[in-house]
Amino acid sequence: MFELNANLKQTFEETAKAMRLRLQQKPSVDALRFMVVDRGIGSFRMCQKLDCRGLSSIAQKGRIVGVDGSTNNAGGPFPYSFTLQQALAKVCSSKEEDVVITDAISPLTMKDAITEEEYRDFIKRNLAELEVKAALEALDKFNPRVVLLDGSLVRYKIESAPMWETLKNRALAQDAVLVGVVEGISTNIISSCLEDALELGGFPASDWEILFGLLQVGEILEIVPGLFKEGFRTFFMRSSLDPKPIGIDLLEEQQEYLAEVSNLIFTLTPQDGRGIPLWLDIIDKNVRITDAVMEGLLNTYLGEDYAEFLKPKRERRQM
Amino acid sequence: MQMQVVGLTTPQEVYVASKDRKFRINELLVLEDPYQGNLIGEVVESNSYNRFIPLSIGSSIHDADVLESLKHLGYSISEDEINIAKVKLITEASFPVVTGSSVRLPAFDEVRGHLLKGVREDGLLLGEIKNTEETAATMEDDLKGLCEMFSGGKLYKTKNVPFFLDLRSFQQYPHIGVFGGSGSGKSFGLRVIMEEIMKHGFPALMLDPHYEMEFSESQESSEEKRDFKDNFRKFQIGEHIGVEFLNLSRGDLLALLSAVSPLTEAMSSAIESLHLRGDTYLSFSNRLELLSEALEMGRLRIEQALKQDMEPMEREKYIKMRQLLEEYQNIPLPSVQGIAWRLRRLHNSGLFSHDIKPVKEAMMQGKLAVIQGPIWLLQVFSTYLLSNIYRKRRDYKDGELKGEASGDYFPPFIIATDEAHNFAPKGRDAATKGIITEIAQEGRKYGVFLILATQRPTLLDETVTAQLNTKIIFRTVRASDIGTISEETDIKAEEARRLPYLPSGDAFVSSPLFGRTVAIRVRFPHTRSPHTQNPLDEIQLHRESSEDKLFEAIKPHLPIYAANFARAVEEINRHAGANYEVRTLKAALDTLVEKGKLTRKASPLGDIYQATDI
Ligand SMILES: Nc1ncnc2c1ncn2[C@@H]1O[C@H](COP(=O)(O)OP(=O)(O)OP(=O)(O)O)[C@@H](O)[C@H]1O
Ligand SMILES: [Mg+2]
Repeated sequence: MFELNANLKQTFEETAKAMRLRLQQKPSVDALRFMVVDRGIGSFRMCQKLDCRGLSSIAQKGRIVGVDGSTNNAGGPFPYSFTLQQALAKVCSSKEEDVVITDAISPLTMKDAITEEEYRDFIKRNLAELEVKAALEALDKFNPRVVLLDGSLVRYKIESAPMWETLKNRALAQDAVLVGVVEGISTNIISSCLEDALELGGFPASDWEILFGLLQVGEILEIVPGLFKEGFRTFFMRSSLDPKPIGIDLLEEQQEYLAEVSNLIFTLTPQDGRGIPLWLDIIDKNVRITDAVMEGLLNTYLGEDYAEFLKPKRERRQM
Repeated sequence: MQMQVVGLTTPQEVYVASKDRKFRINELLVLEDPYQGNLIGEVVESNSYNRFIPLSIGSSIHDADVLESLKHLGYSISEDEINIAKVKLITEASFPVVTGSSVRLPAFDEVRGHLLKGVREDGLLLGEIKNTEETAATMEDDLKGLCEMFSGGKLYKTKNVPFFLDLRSFQQYPHIGVFGGSGSGKSFGLRVIMEEIMKHGFPALMLDPHYEMEFSESQESSEEKRDFKDNFRKFQIGEHIGVEFLNLSRGDLLALLSAVSPLTEAMSSAIESLHLRGDTYLSFSNRLELLSEALEMGRLRIEQALKQDMEPMEREKYIKMRQLLEEYQNIPLPSVQGIAWRLRRLHNSGLFSHDIKPVKEAMMQGKLAVIQGPIWLLQVFSTYLLSNIYRKRRDYKDGELKGEASGDYFPPFIIATDEAHNFAPKGRDAATKGIITEIAQEGRKYGVFLILATQRPTLLDETVTAQLNTKIIFRTVRASDIGTISEETDIKAEEARRLPYLPSGDAFVSSPLFGRTVAIRVRFPHTRSPHTQNPLDEIQLHRESSEDKLFEAIKPHLPIYAANFARAVEEINRHAGANYEVRTLKAALDTLVEKGKLTRKASPLGDIYQATDI
């Protein structure tokens, strides 16, 4: 057994106490909701699960596409690393082929020498770019009505600006609604508006903290225009029994579809799940590059001797 | 159609996946290993699963809504099904099969050796090997459509690879067990085996306690009319055949009498002293009658009677009585009376008025001799009959070995019986047990082979069971019997689990010749038993009654969701004391759907089974 020394134990206890205190200081749900409305941060609204008719009317306008990406690293310490990336756009249909774009990268094969930091940044941007490419191709191929992207739309704008512009323009032209679905909310829109009213033990509150338990199942909090990043609209939704809501981004130009999109997402989300539309979950499972695949690829193309050479000591220890 | 080796492999076992082909148990596959060449494997487990259903944690009903919505948007989750087969290699590989190796169905020539043993002319054509249609398509033409099958209410020529049991291999693996519960197809199976034996003109003897083994009427529905009028002879004990009292050993006699009704110890010892060498029925029964009269009269009255005047015949009788009384004074009257009563009963059955010559004659002519009688009489009679003909064969063979060409020729032969556990029961004695055990252990040397069928393999003597090299196993429900079968055969756990659900006529053949279990369906017999006037009607009746039972068990648990099979199975088993499993429950439900008793509603979470509203 791990012996807790007295010091450590004390720290744990104090932390727990502080957390409890902080939560106690958090205003009640009613109070928070009042503040949100009172200060003009946003408005609450209930979504509806779509019935067959509702779904058919969306389906008539076009298909539903989901986009997600995945990265896996293998190999040894920098620069012996080998990165495999994959983006998948999957249309909600049983007949069509998916759009899959893969890319393999290694610092050793790059034109210019690169630092570890730069490499990390590069693969981050590269993945965003692959995802945008996949979405673009899906626009061409499937003529969708709604494109669900896994993660905030803002991220694409930041990490893959030129491609993002192309995607956005194409989507607007085709009247395809781009939707970013964010599982872990990391914004501070509400909290920064309530800064003065919330004094939670010296630390500013963050959005997820305020939103926890604030919404009823199927309820959304629509943030007023202008508070979120320029060019986008955002809203939060408790899409399942899970008290942590998800965030949903739209293009400002497409904000008129907010109700349609929120109803659709609520409909496609399992009540007992973690709040993500099942379609995105399915895509997540499909796009994921497993360690077994990586290892297989390395062994096949690098040779087992090199693979062995690159394997971290830690892994070998277990054998 | 693409199939591939996936996952972790060993030299004995691999998994094969396919997106669009459902695997069938026991089918053979070719694994194309780039290093070891083509390997042959057999599917031992087959699963289909949806890659995404495991996502649906907790209440599946809500997820069902979501899936339903996706369906409206054009995506049916069932399309994301993957089929996985566990495949056992039957050609041993020296190292693990390469993952990713492609897999295909074999052409017949690639697996001929695994499907056909021996030459066709020497084979007993029992039926078809299940799930071999594709392979069978590449067979030479004269192996195609060799027999008629009956299933699903239809009669048709087989499209599968034929299953032959090599008669020549009996020398090596002489004895066959046929196991299966009531209605599982044993009698049909035995009938087919005997028909095949008759086709080969191999002498055989069949004990028929059910009076059902008649081979003179061909099946009405069958296309190829064929009967065996000239290939078999039917004998009823007492009517056509019997025992020669003169040739009875003391043991035979004891067995016969006790078969009528068990003998007391006093009776047995009385017989020991009363039965004399050279006794005929007449001499023996006379002795009993006189002794019993003498015991009744008593010494004094006999002496008195002898003092009076009487006919010489009469006098002789009294002298004889006095003599018997002196000789057997210790035997109590009731014993003598008991023996006499039993003997009369045997006599009245006609047993002592005939002999076994006609049976031997039929066998000498290469025919099948069917012996019918009530089971008690069949037991004692066959003790006598089997010992007799086995001795004849043994004497001839031994003589031949010693170079004495003296003995009369008697051919090798096959002995078949249903209800074998009555003839060689475990843990208790039966008249026939000795001779059957002896043949089981030594029959091979003399070309005497056993085919023993029983509903209850667990009740069959272990020594005998151990000698049954080839086992044909039909549907078996009783757990203890499944246990015995698993122990006594090379049947795999997966197959043992399927035993309770085999349709009538389907069987596993476990034979050292094949080195594995082969799943077969027994062909439709050429002839029919006198009981079954119209086999079509009977089959339908039979099926309906078992379906009714199933439906009653399932009814309280409706509706059943495919996604919830596991729980449904548990509940049904608990309430009905049944032994269903998920896969078999599904098959059973589908049958009920076919019959219109249930309706199956497709839902994205899998099917929902509901009672059909009437
Ligand atoms: N090979 C077969 N082809 C078609 N139907 C069959 C086959 N075998 C059995 N059946 C069907 O199953 C029924 C029962 O079979 P069978 O009489 O052989 O059972 P059994 O095992 O001898 O039962 P029991 O132990 O009660 O005598 C048959 O009447 C027939 O309808
Ligand atoms: Mg029977």
